[in-house]
Amino acid sequence: MRYVIIGGSAAAIRAVEAIRSVDRRSPIDLFSDEPTPLFSRVLLPYYVAEELPKKLLNFRPLTFFEDQEVTSHLGVRITAIDPESRTVTADNGQNFDYDRLLIATGGSPIIPPIPGVEKKGIFPLKTMQDAENIYGSKGKRAVVIGAGSIGVESCISLKRKGMDVTLVEQLGRVLPTVFDDRASAIIRKRMEDLGIKVNTGERAVQFQGNGAVSSMSTEQRDINCDLVVLSIGVNPNVELARAAGLEIGELGGIAVNDRMRTSAAGIFAAGDVVETKDIALDKKSINAIWPCAVEQGYAAGLNMTGKKVLYPGSLRMNSIGNFIGQPAISIGMVSAPTETGGAEAGEAYQEVTRSSKDTYRKLILKGSRIVGATLVGDTQKAGILGVLIKKQIEVGEFVPLLMSHKLNFMEILPLIRRHSDKFSEPEYKELMDTGL
Amino acid sequence: MQVIMVDQRKCTGCHQCELWCGSEIASESKEIPFSFFDDPQPVPRVFVEGKPFALQCRHCPDAPCVEACPNGSMTRDENGLVYVNETTCIACWMCVMACPFGVINPSSSLKVAIKCDRCRNMGYPICVEICPTNALQLVEREMPKTLSSKG
Repeated sequence: MRYVIIGGSAAAIRAVEAIRSVDRRSPIDLFSDEPTPLFSRVLLPYYVAEELPKKLLNFRPLTFFEDQEVTSHLGVRITAIDPESRTVTADNGQNFDYDRLLIATGGSPIIPPIPGVEKKGIFPLKTMQDAENIYGSKGKRAVVIGAGSIGVESCISLKRKGMDVTLVEQLGRVLPTVFDDRASAIIRKRMEDLGIKVNTGERAVQFQGNGAVSSMSTEQRDINCDLVVLSIGVNPNVELARAAGLEIGELGGIAVNDRMRTSAAGIFAAGDVVETKDIALDKKSINAIWPCAVEQGYAAGLNMTGKKVLYPGSLRMNSIGNFIGQPAISIGMVSAPTETGGAEAGEAYQEVTRSSKDTYRKLILKGSRIVGATLVGDTQKAGILGVLIKKQIEVGEFVPLLMSHKLNFMEILPLIRRHSDKFSEPEYKELMDTGL
Repeated sequence: MQVIMVDQRKCTGCHQCELWCGSEIASESKEIPFSFFDDPQPVPRVFVEGKPFALQCRHCPDAPCVEACPNGSMTRDENGLVYVNETTCIACWMCVMACPFGVINPSSSLKVAIKCDRCRNMGYPICVEICPTNALQLVEREMPKTLSSKG
């Protein structure tokens, strides 16, 4: 068996580990167009903030490729896939044969078509080079466009570097796809307390400057700036897959089956480049987040070896860590849909909320299942809610306990036992056998 | 591998395991009377919950916290024990979000994820050692044949 992996981040690396857990001998060739290997993209804002030195950005040791006996081709771009002859072509003209191929090409930052966006001093934050560009900026006044996770963390980073920071978000709140109005307001308050200017519901329309950016206009105002970070989102890098005739899904990601296989024999895909069924939303979604990429890479890797492993679907989850200084976690759906689609299907959505001075907790129920959880402040038990969402457990009369600060695993053991068919792993079984 | 199990009939909920875990393992001073004055306050890795039952990290064969960690700080040693490399942990709380047992403590004062490593550096878990009723025991985990310990 010959394995070829295109990509060098979470999904690709985890796939290598999965393959090697089964198959120690077959050759693996890994291609990454980025020259810097094994760094964790989600930590780039920490690097910019000087919170982490470069070597602590690595999520695996630098000896990884050697240890796993992988031939790494770093800084090499794959330009074509031929599913007929099962070969890939690299930008140095070389061809490589494969029996199993993984496409883990990730996503590219969206560069909005705003006049002046090509000016100097305007960067996305996706690659190590982007991080170096922003880190090396001599700017004093920064504008961050887009209030997703990377955008919000970029604000913190630049503020820590001593810059004057303004955040501009087109939608009505910060972290609009992660938190509801209430949770989002808490994060916004924290950002404003740190001295970051937050402008939501505002659209960037133009960048001015002679060569380098010197100001930015929104529909409401002009903001002087000498550094702009674009964090609008990412688009899946599907060009290779599309050119090879692979099926692209309705959302623009590579379509895969429940074993992470694409429409072509022998070709698998994982990570930010694929669209998968979202367990909580019960529809296709591109969940371009780290934990999903890791899980998908692992499932894809095992399936590439011939094992039959089902990928149950993805679940969107985000954690606001100590970096921002306001613990907050969101898993699954952010807000109950307002349209009546769920009700027609016989399962109405319901939101249950509880808040105190420092905490906020919300569950979104669809029928008797949790499809969304938000926790701000007291977050330690968030994973319990997460596993109930992931395994689609009918929680019934346990809702008050799940909402309570008294929530803990042993208290919900009767619920776990009731659904013991879904908790067959030894770590659950041994607790169920304790007779409690 | 071995895991800590609790004989529920013997667990009285006395919280001694929490106290000793917090002082002997987590504290600076390593002595109960002084650890009360540690700043930041030490936090235990075992939680007396439910009926009562002393619960700590289960060291899942397929650990969601290890999968979720974005820089490999949450890792597994050669004996299968899952532990946090505290010097590289960035307190992003992805592991907290992933832990189905809710036993990873997002310590805002210590700025690292705190969890049971089954006292891997001491050789023997303190909670098992000090449990006054011997409710806590170190036992071999029964693994189903289809599952094997992985990465």
